[in-house]
Amino acid sequence: MMNGGLRALEERVFDRDLCVSCGACVSLCPYLRSWQGRIVKLDECDLAEGRCFNYCPRGKVDLNELHQRLFGGPYKEIEMGMVRSVLMARACDSVWAGRVQNGGVVSALTDLAIKEGVIDAAVLTDREVNLLPRGHIVSGREDIMACTGSIYTSGPTLEALNRGPWTGDERIGIVGLPCMVLALAKMRTSSLEKRTPIDRVDLVIGLFCTWALDYKSFMGFLQKRFGDRTIGKVDITPPPERIMKITAGDELHDIPLDEIRSFIRPGCHVCPDMTSEFSDISVGTVEGEEGWNTVLVRTERGEELVKRAEAKGVIESQPLPGDKLSHLKEASLLKKRRAIDALKDRGELEDGYLTLSRELIQQIQSESKEAP
Amino acid sequence: MSIIAQDTPGETVLLMGNEAIARGALEAGIKVCAAYPGNPSSEITGSLAGVADEFGLHVEWSVNEKVALEVAAAASFAGLRGLCTMKQNGLNVASDFLLNLNLTGCEGGLVLIVADDPGALSSSNEEDSRAFAKLGDLPLLEPATFQEAKAMTKWAFDLSEDLGLPVLVRTVTRVSHARGNVLLDELPRPTKKPRFDTSRPRIALPVLTNHKLLREKLERAGQVFETSPFNFYRGPEKPELLIITCGSGWMYSLEAVANLDLNERVGILKLGTTWPLPEQMVLNHLSKADHVLFVEEVSPFLENNVKELFAQNCVDLGLKRFSGKATGTLPDIGELNPDIVISTLQDILEVFYEPVSAEYALRAKEISDQLVPERPLGFCAGCPHRATYWAIKNALALDGRDGFVAGDIGCYSLGIGPSGFSQMKTLHAMGSGTGLAGGFGQLNAFGLDQPVIAVSGDSTFYHAVMPALTNASYNKSNLLLLLLDNSATAMTGFQPHPGTGKTASGQDAPILDLEVICKALGAQVEVGDPFDMKATTETILRLLQDVEGVKVLILRRECALVRGRTQKKLFNMEVDQDLCLGERCGCNRLCTRVFKCPGLIWDEIAGRARIDEAICTGCGVCAEICPSLAIRKEVV
Amino acid sequence: MVFQKDPFNVIIGGVGGQGNVIASQVLGRILLPKGYVITIGETYGASQRGGAVMSHLRISAKDQFSPLIPEGQCDLLMALEPVEGLRILGQYGNPSVVSLINTRPIHPIEIISGQTPYPDVSEVLRRIGELSKGVWAFNATEIALEMGDPIFSNMVMLGALSMLDMLQIDRQGFEQAIGGLLSSGRLAQNLEAFDRGKMAVEKI
Repeated sequence: MMNGGLRALEERVFDRDLCVSCGACVSLCPYLRSWQGRIVKLDECDLAEGRCFNYCPRGKVDLNELHQRLFGGPYKEIEMGMVRSVLMARACDSVWAGRVQNGGVVSALTDLAIKEGVIDAAVLTDREVNLLPRGHIVSGREDIMACTGSIYTSGPTLEALNRGPWTGDERIGIVGLPCMVLALAKMRTSSLEKRTPIDRVDLVIGLFCTWALDYKSFMGFLQKRFGDRTIGKVDITPPPERIMKITAGDELHDIPLDEIRSFIRPGCHVCPDMTSEFSDISVGTVEGEEGWNTVLVRTERGEELVKRAEAKGVIESQPLPGDKLSHLKEASLLKKRRAIDALKDRGELEDGYLTLSRELIQQIQSESKEAP
Repeated sequence: MSIIAQDTPGETVLLMGNEAIARGALEAGIKVCAAYPGNPSSEITGSLAGVADEFGLHVEWSVNEKVALEVAAAASFAGLRGLCTMKQNGLNVASDFLLNLNLTGCEGGLVLIVADDPGALSSSNEEDSRAFAKLGDLPLLEPATFQEAKAMTKWAFDLSEDLGLPVLVRTVTRVSHARGNVLLDELPRPTKKPRFDTSRPRIALPVLTNHKLLREKLERAGQVFETSPFNFYRGPEKPELLIITCGSGWMYSLEAVANLDLNERVGILKLGTTWPLPEQMVLNHLSKADHVLFVEEVSPFLENNVKELFAQNCVDLGLKRFSGKATGTLPDIGELNPDIVISTLQDILEVFYEPVSAEYALRAKEISDQLVPERPLGFCAGCPHRATYWAIKNALALDGRDGFVAGDIGCYSLGIGPSGFSQMKTLHAMGSGTGLAGGFGQLNAFGLDQPVIAVSGDSTFYHAVMPALTNASYNKSNLLLLLLDNSATAMTGFQPHPGTGKTASGQDAPILDLEVICKALGAQVEVGDPFDMKATTETILRLLQDVEGVKVLILRRECALVRGRTQKKLFNMEVDQDLCLGERCGCNRLCTRVFKCPGLIWDEIAGRARIDEAICTGCGVCAEICPSLAIRKEVV
Repeated sequence: MVFQKDPFNVIIGGVGGQGNVIASQVLGRILLPKGYVITIGETYGASQRGGAVMSHLRISAKDQFSPLIPEGQCDLLMALEPVEGLRILGQYGNPSVVSLINTRPIHPIEIISGQTPYPDVSEVLRRIGELSKGVWAFNATEIALEMGDPIFSNMVMLGALSMLDMLQIDRQGFEQAIGGLLSSGRLAQNLEAFDRGKMAVEKI
């Protein structure tokens, strides 16, 4: 994989507006800081090679090589990455109901993993005032509850992993978006001296994601629309409706998605990963089934936790109906296709951040279908 | 006891030019001295402040040069002798009053010393303040030696009283900031009671009457100057080349003539009274030489005035060749020195000069160029300004809208360079940073979205920032002013000011609270500690986000040099060599490469940072920035 | 005593904050009562803040001279910092100059930041030797630090200068010169610094 330092990060990621604010590069050194949803370079650093660029999910990504290093085999399951099993599941405990969007599986699994000692703490994402996301280290149910609900603006969750505070021997779980899960895979397989707790990350729960909004410009839009009113809960209704429901002050407002598409981070348009393909378990919605989650179990570790959750009655599950599965695969493949198209449009298919073999590209192009 | 107060007439002592001027004023029996500090003038009033009590003088650091001149003029109006001192920029500030004062004239001797800074060694501009003498029809004297600095100052008071006009004395760095033998005279102790003569109001109206009177006084000054002992000629009866010079040019000319052994060929007309010219004397010397070279600092002032005089008399004088700054013979920017004059004479008279062999000179230059690093100015170790600019830099970077600092005059002007992380993007006159920032604030309405931070020191604030802040409030501008309160006029030598609670002569004074003033001027005020860089960054960021209105953040920390005089270090600093990451990813020498405090050393061989115990003042600030907590501070 | 040259030109160089000005003033005040005409030109003001500073001292039996020495005419160099010594020789040196050097470096900002390395001190001294008739060198700052404050370095250097026997510096003259100049509380320490400098200096 190509090496680089802060200069490469600046030239190849920041200047190309590809940063997705995952936070992987923050709190590793004094030169990068996150502020208002953006990663900011404070000073020059001339190192030829640095963790910032090395960990960046838009730095340099060779899917095949990464897959090989992490899972010991080539990247070939082009639809949703490597999957052991697919379920439809929901949390049983009523404590998660109403707090969470959909089935509450992520919260329930995290809670169980901590309770059972699979991990000691987890890095989740919560919101500061006005939707600003940030990484939050949790070690109990109360804290997990503070981190429920969807966040559609991108934020530097992984900064919390790098920054801590950690005592130094806890086992760590992380819940993150596909870009973050990709960054974690890069961190794990990096040959640079780590000096972060990445080797103690024992559980990665990935979320499904189609895009995230740029915090600053989206907030500017909301401010114009709602003035000083506090922004509360934000949700997007499932397809085909797809409307952002947003609480401003005491009122619920509808914003059609077309009005906010321009705030999608450019770095999301080139992302080929909808289902967090480098996770242990990936979780998303089930189209047309409110109150349920789609769960993709990818690793042995993931499988063990899901089984334990079922055995303990923490979650209940059933097979994902075939039509929904094929729909999911289509959507996932479509995101890949669009990413390739976007890279092509940018002239970055050859020397861009993403390295994919010509065969894979052709396969994606031929198998993907444009959504109706 | 201060050397300028030494009551030993007939004794020769070593005095700095500025001390010699102060001594001259004492020997003239002044009662009042007022000034605003500024290099290279500061030590004149500084040394008089030290003897104020002993001599029963009123010596004050005024808030600006215009007020200072008014204070000194009041003494003169009441019949006492008054002195006012400033640097070249100060005369620009005082000039509005000065160009009315010339019309009203004065009573007691009133002398205005203005110290020019050729080469701008410690200034934001290079300026020849002699232009004001011509502009205001005022007599001008220029001392060339330390002895003359004393004698001329003393005589300037007599001349002022004789003419009823303030007298300008222009000195330059190499006279003011140099030292030499000075012979002391008597120290009078005048006891005259001041009284303003109400029958002779000091009003410039009717202007034309007073302007006519002024022209007459100036003409009389010219007559007096014809016989002044400060003007003299040294050289052959009919020199091949006549040098006309004044001020420090005199010493350089002498040195050049001596080094080139040109005593028989070159004559030097040294003028101490340079406006109005002693016309007959100058014409007399012009008539004896065909080639004239002018050696003077900054502008071709003498040169052009003499050429004007020549033009009026050219029918009698015949053809002459003139060389100087106006003709490009001497550089018309920067400071002169003996070598420049030597090489000019060499060129004109085609003489050989080689003080050391060309081979040695070349080798010495090569070795020095090869091994000697640049040593630019920077903030001292422990200086609060470095911490302030660090916070500004980070706040502006995080803000991300390409903001910048509108600068002002003081130590913090070094914010233009690497030790202030090059944050300062405008630098002009005292108070201009805030004035400009107020103007930029008005441009938000037209779509300017770059944040602007004005900075000002405490002394500068009282000098000229207050009107700019008032203006911003009144005209509803958006402004963020950082008041860098280090409790001193540090750049010029730590003079007290209205915020310090002390007068020039060390007496207690009311403290004019910056917070209260800023609030009264309509600003929203916060106070912070620049050493807490994290909090300061957050505060600046927060204030930048909230665009509307006039905001002042007072960042308060004593100047490290002032503190170091009386107090011990706060902390013993140490870099843990095991924890220091050096050039590794995660640090890459943040403290030395980016923060660059001179109290730190980059040990290339060890690949670690160290503390330079000879320089570190133990402020503890670098411990805050170290990402691996390798820099440790231990309370002393 | 008449100097071998008139004027006799001394340059004291160092870094702003090292006490260059005080050193030149003390030297002037030692020599003036012996009947000399002294001229001292100094660079300071803004250069107080860590820049290169120089004092030009001219000693004459008869005349006042320019406060700036013409290039190539330094007779005696006292440098409070090694590369500052070399910087001065590059402009004012000549084959008969004698140099007294404090060997303790002070790093300029570009060296602290690592843009350029500080030259090897022994190399600097060797080059100074190449350009001088004689070189005396020692670490005056270390002695001052032993005394508890690096500010004494300049007085340590003046003590060393008195050993060179080129100027008429004696302990009594030094004591008188600092008498009216420095706070009385520090006289004893400054005298100690002077004495320690006398003992420490070595010709190389």
